[in-house]
Amino acid sequence: MRIHRGHIAQHKHDLLLREYLKQHLNELIQQKELIIDGRVKTQLATLDLPTLKYGEDAPVLARGTGQGGRGGGGAGSGGGDDEIQMLGGLLGGDHHGRELKVELDFDEFVRLAQEVLLEEIHLPVFHEPSRTGEVQTDALPDLDDLDRIGLRPDLNLEETMLQALMRNIRERGMAEYDVELTQDGWYFIEDPAAYENHRSLEVYVLDISGSMRGEYLALVRKTIFVLWYYLERRYPTNLRRYVVFQDVANEKTRDEFFCVESSGGTHISSGFEKAMDLLQGVTEHDKFLFLFTDGETSSGDFDLAKRRYEEALGRFDLVCYGHVNPGGRGIGGFSEFVQEAVRRLPRATFANLTDAEAIRKAMEEFLEFFTPERAGGARWTRTAPSPTASKP
Amino acid sequence: MDAYRAITDRIETLGRERGLSFDPVYFRMTDSDEIAEVASMGLPNRFIHWYWGGAYKELVLQQNKELFSILELVLNTTPSHAFLRRSNTYLQNVLVIAHVFGHVDFFRNNHWFAKSNKNMLNQAEAHARQIRKYEGLYSREKVEALLDALLTVAGTVNAFERSSTERRKRVVYYLEEKAPLDPWEQHMLQMIREESEYFDLIQRTHIINEGWATFVEAELLRDILDTPAWTSLSVQLSNRPAPYTIGHALFQRIKHERGFDSTLQTRTYYEDVRLIDEVLTDDLVRSLDLFVYDPKEKQKSYDLQQVKEMLITQKLYKGEPHVEVEPSSSPKELLLVHQEEDKKLDPKRVGLFLKAVHSLWRNPVRLRANGKVYVFDRRGFSTS
Repeated sequence: MRIHRGHIAQHKHDLLLREYLKQHLNELIQQKELIIDGRVKTQLATLDLPTLKYGEDAPVLARGTGQGGRGGGGAGSGGGDDEIQMLGGLLGGDHHGRELKVELDFDEFVRLAQEVLLEEIHLPVFHEPSRTGEVQTDALPDLDDLDRIGLRPDLNLEETMLQALMRNIRERGMAEYDVELTQDGWYFIEDPAAYENHRSLEVYVLDISGSMRGEYLALVRKTIFVLWYYLERRYPTNLRRYVVFQDVANEKTRDEFFCVESSGGTHISSGFEKAMDLLQGVTEHDKFLFLFTDGETSSGDFDLAKRRYEEALGRFDLVCYGHVNPGGRGIGGFSEFVQEAVRRLPRATFANLTDAEAIRKAMEEFLEFFTPERAGGARWTRTAPSPTASKP
Repeated sequence: MDAYRAITDRIETLGRERGLSFDPVYFRMTDSDEIAEVASMGLPNRFIHWYWGGAYKELVLQQNKELFSILELVLNTTPSHAFLRRSNTYLQNVLVIAHVFGHVDFFRNNHWFAKSNKNMLNQAEAHARQIRKYEGLYSREKVEALLDALLTVAGTVNAFERSSTERRKRVVYYLEEKAPLDPWEQHMLQMIREESEYFDLIQRTHIINEGWATFVEAELLRDILDTPAWTSLSVQLSNRPAPYTIGHALFQRIKHERGFDSTLQTRTYYEDVRLIDEVLTDDLVRSLDLFVYDPKEKQKSYDLQQVKEMLITQKLYKGEPHVEVEPSSSPKELLLVHQEEDKKLDPKRVGLFLKAVHSLWRNPVRLRANGKVYVFDRRGFSTS
């Protein structure tokens, strides 16, 4: 048996990275453009030993490659007419003079941010349901349908590839087959009804009118990351759609959603409308709408926004309204209406997002949705057809 | 390894017939992960540090994305240990085996390598154990902070330098001699310095060593491979990273002008600086597309002298700025001077570097660079 020293060293490295994130999460998370090419921009791109280095303007020895800097001889760098390759090869244990890039991709950033937030906010514990749907059996069932949860050997490659392609377009705006089984996997199964409560559709709607920046964005993003933490534990597959609105609403890719340019007015009604459009053809069992706004809807939109809100409540299983309010001011405008409405309407929650503590309270309310009483019994059995697979 | 036994023997015999000689080599088949681990740490059993973790993470990421992969890895020890990647094709591993024999011949015959520590595998293990022991005695936090500072200055070693006056100009040797360290800290410094000297030698012979191994690989396999495989190898050789292709081109030039025996002489007596200085020519600079690039002006210079000087400076100081210890007016103060006035240091790193040096020197540290004097003392970092 070998000791995986590389893993241990990486763990030490990641602890430092986590510490860095902990100290800088707030400033990182409120960057207007959080994702660039699938990665999170950090002020400190490297976690490096503080050896002396030349400034960026110093001349360097380089070599033309004509192959995009490939080959591992050093960091590639643009400039001049063609690609050039800085000289300074990779040597075991001696990386001096060579910048190490810690590539913090978005998923890793989210995972680390979740860890930090869980610790900082003391979030409620979510008891993960057991995956009783994935049992082994000697009997050979007739596999004649498809669903997004199933036994690994029953993977349907064609549908999975198709889903991966669609997800990559949805998230990154890129037509690539980059399969993630937890997200894209489609399986041959006996009966899709037995699995339907394993899937969720989450529509995130964000107000990007002029005021949505800085601390406002930080609160929204932290709330979304914490929501993901719970939703990923509850549902093996999460179908996520993203909408931004100001005067009009548009569906965005995930990467675009986290790179907002805030400007314009606030027509909340348009956000609800677009979210409901996205329900077209959806087969997911639980459908969530998360809308974030500072609630100052433009004049003339108030009544329409009320109607659309009530319609959304009829079509989503849960409509979570986040009033983004970092200053902790009094609640007015459309948010005041929603705050009143949730007291009498089912399937609605309201969160006054003033600070991290408010995220904790919001999560407590949100998690009530998953309590067995509300959900109508255990939601994770495979002994279908059972009443647990249908709506409470 | 059974599948490779016959071809390994054939390559070794062919090598001996051409005048090469080898210490025993143990080939081991392993996966990309272990190769990335050893490459990032330098030695398989070295002490564990977060910095290797960053390098390991980067390598694994690059390998997973198929941007870059390490096909082989060989250790300068007696016996030599070479790792072959299980996922390589048969032909790839045959190339690696021939390449490894090139390295092993170099380890045994090169004049500079004769002075290297062939027992480093055992020594690194002993160091790792000692460091763990110190963690138990003085706390992990203290030991890790000390390691960070030591690794920061460890790049200033010079495994080639024998003059004590010259060595004393290098930060790490000066600190070893004069810094007010506790005995266990002093011991840690010695261990890190020894390991860094081991790697310094590898760094300073990187071009000649990789060039020789590539040259040997091509020379031996020309007699072994069939035409399609040989064509494939020829294409691969020109696509390898810079130290391989530069070194290979220099040895080809020597063979072409002076004959094969002269290449054997070169591998015995030269290191990178001498090889570059003597063999690199205008036409090679052009054909290898080597240039000095000025990012400010976005201009390339193919001037032979400039390219040579820069390559040689890179070798002498490992691409790091040339900083020397100079006599100070106060015995308590450590004065460092950046010797290349025309080049600017990255000011963001200066404070952190001086903090690391101060943690070892424990008295004021000054650095003259960028037309300023940077100071780190018990009040912290300042500029004058």
